[in-house]
Amino acid sequence: MKDDASARPRLATAARVLARLSCIAFLAFGAVQAQTADDDLRERLAACTACHGERGEGVAGSTYYPHLAGKPAGYLVEQLQAFRDGRRHYWQMVWLTQFMDDAYIAEIAAYYAAQPPHTQAADVGAPALPPAVRERAERLVHHGDPQAGLPACAACHGTALTGLEPAVPALVGLPQDYIVSQIGSWRDGTRRSKAPDCMAKIAARLAPADIRIVAQYLSHQSPGAHDRPAAAGSLIPPLACGDLPQAQVTP
Amino acid sequence: MIRRIVLWSVLIALPLLLIAAAIGGVLLLRQGGLAPYRVPSASGDIVAAGDASEGAYLARIGNCLTCHTVRGGVAFAGGRPFRTDYGTLYSTNLTPDSKTGLGDWSVEEFRHAMRHGVSRHGVLYPAFPYANFAHLTDADLDALFAYLRTLAPVEATPPPNDLAWPANWRGALVGWRMLHYRPAPLPERADASPDWLRGRYLVDGLGHCAMCHGTRGAQGSLPAEGYLAGGRIPGQGWYAPPLDARQLARYDVDQLAEYLSTGNGEHGAAYGSMAEVVYTSLRHLRPEDARAMATYLKSVPAHGGDEKPDSGRFLYAAAQPAANPHNGGRLYQDHCASCHGDGGEGRGRDYPPLRGAVSVTAPDPVNTVRLVLYGGVPPTTAGNPRPHSMPPFAGRLSNAEIAAIVSHIRRNWGEQDRPVSAADVAAYYGIRGD
Repeated sequence: MKDDASARPRLATAARVLARLSCIAFLAFGAVQAQTADDDLRERLAACTACHGERGEGVAGSTYYPHLAGKPAGYLVEQLQAFRDGRRHYWQMVWLTQFMDDAYIAEIAAYYAAQPPHTQAADVGAPALPPAVRERAERLVHHGDPQAGLPACAACHGTALTGLEPAVPALVGLPQDYIVSQIGSWRDGTRRSKAPDCMAKIAARLAPADIRIVAQYLSHQSPGAHDRPAAAGSLIPPLACGDLPQAQVTP
Repeated sequence: MIRRIVLWSVLIALPLLLIAAAIGGVLLLRQGGLAPYRVPSASGDIVAAGDASEGAYLARIGNCLTCHTVRGGVAFAGGRPFRTDYGTLYSTNLTPDSKTGLGDWSVEEFRHAMRHGVSRHGVLYPAFPYANFAHLTDADLDALFAYLRTLAPVEATPPPNDLAWPANWRGALVGWRMLHYRPAPLPERADASPDWLRGRYLVDGLGHCAMCHGTRGAQGSLPAEGYLAGGRIPGQGWYAPPLDARQLARYDVDQLAEYLSTGNGEHGAAYGSMAEVVYTSLRHLRPEDARAMATYLKSVPAHGGDEKPDSGRFLYAAAQPAANPHNGGRLYQDHCASCHGDGGEGRGRDYPPLRGAVSVTAPDPVNTVRLVLYGGVPPTTAGNPRPHSMPPFAGRLSNAEIAAIVSHIRRNWGEQDRPVSAADVAAYYGIRGD
């Protein structure tokens, strides 16, 4: 009887410990599984690694290729589809995406979006701007030029320029040549976003000299280690853009 | 005197003219006589009686979509460019728009164009595989037409063809047909299984496999002796292997059927033009049709008997490549072996074996070079929904290094001793946009 009574709490403790252990084991197992699924996809994406880095963080010293890590998944989906469907014309990317269905594209985009947004350091290749020029670039980026009908970059890409969920990309951590080339492509129609294509309008209004200095300024900016894109709905873009939910709110 | 000259001239010229006319007549007969040029009137039956849902399947398997859609354009509205030795052709609008598509075509007109390659617009360019579609049954043609009529009409005119003389004159196509076009029904085979017959019907008819897998003759023709004998695909920058019992010996019927419908298998994945065919067409094959095609393809007699295919007819940039300063074996170990294995044996279905692969054994080195340069992703299909990709090496390795790796692979695992030079790699550089 006595034995029985003392056995009960001991049994209960054992059960609690067992439950806790199995819980830990379950969590650990889950983490391992997620890790394995991640590794599994990373292995499949060897073609992306060559230019974008092991986890989409960009390749050190790259003077052109953008990072993918931590960019909003919606943005990445839209870009992969754009290469596939003829709205972007970078032929190496067209080559790799042309026979890819939406399901795989969504999985790839989600993978890169979930990576820590450790982008490469500022583009060391781009020379520093003289103070007056730098000031103009900074003003364009953070305040725009209302007289020229130019909204600030920060109005859509976030005050930290780390992008906006679900589909506006970061502007920091990108090489200068890449930024210049994208704005140029919007101007000549070889890069198109879903209508209404706000970036095409902005690119057309930017003076060529401003394109260069804005790109140079942006390429000097580095995101912090934990900077994620701004939360969805935290900004109302001033221009109608693609099928962003915010676009419907603004006149 | 003058009368005598005239008399002699006539006496000499007349037989020559008669001989020329006789030869012309014979050639005209051999390409089907005059019947192909009698296009039925448009006033016929427009309302298609065919089975549109079967037509949707047949349009998939015939892969109308791939040629008749420009990247990013409306499906079947045409405009895709085709680069040929004679210039650029653009595909036409198949949607039922009455001004720019097939809107007011009669079913007889459609059948006639599919079977004879002649429409109300004149003789069609042989980029359109009418030689294959000539084998289709009335029921299948009517089903296709019925399906095309269910599409939303789109007003779209392709850009004008940009061809050199005489190819820019459609009349010249009659001459081309007299020289090169020899229509003939599929031979009767009373002893063949229904599976084999269905396979032949799909391969030679709707599937028009020989358009890429045939060996081209003079002026882009497809002579009978080049039937499924393999060759460089015009305008595509890829080599298509022969499809015959020897080339496909590695596969059994089930494995080949799996490759056709999933674009993957234990002997490797589809890439290049074949990846596109799998993605837009073959992944929709009914299992029994995939098996039928595989059954037929494996029965095609090996080309050229037991002789190894001649690599001499393929273009190498340098007649005698200079000695390559790089060690292909070392470079292979550094860049390729972790996925493809030390002995080119590959790993499972994720990393294709190089030993015996088409790209490695083919007389034409273009596929290996371009895969190494630009990598690739096999088509996503139900059987291979998350394909493994091959990284591009352009810009990471020099042309001479790529040439050394390719030569190493082809010599060791493909019995192709002819080295590839840095100049060959340079010649295959560049992705041609569309």
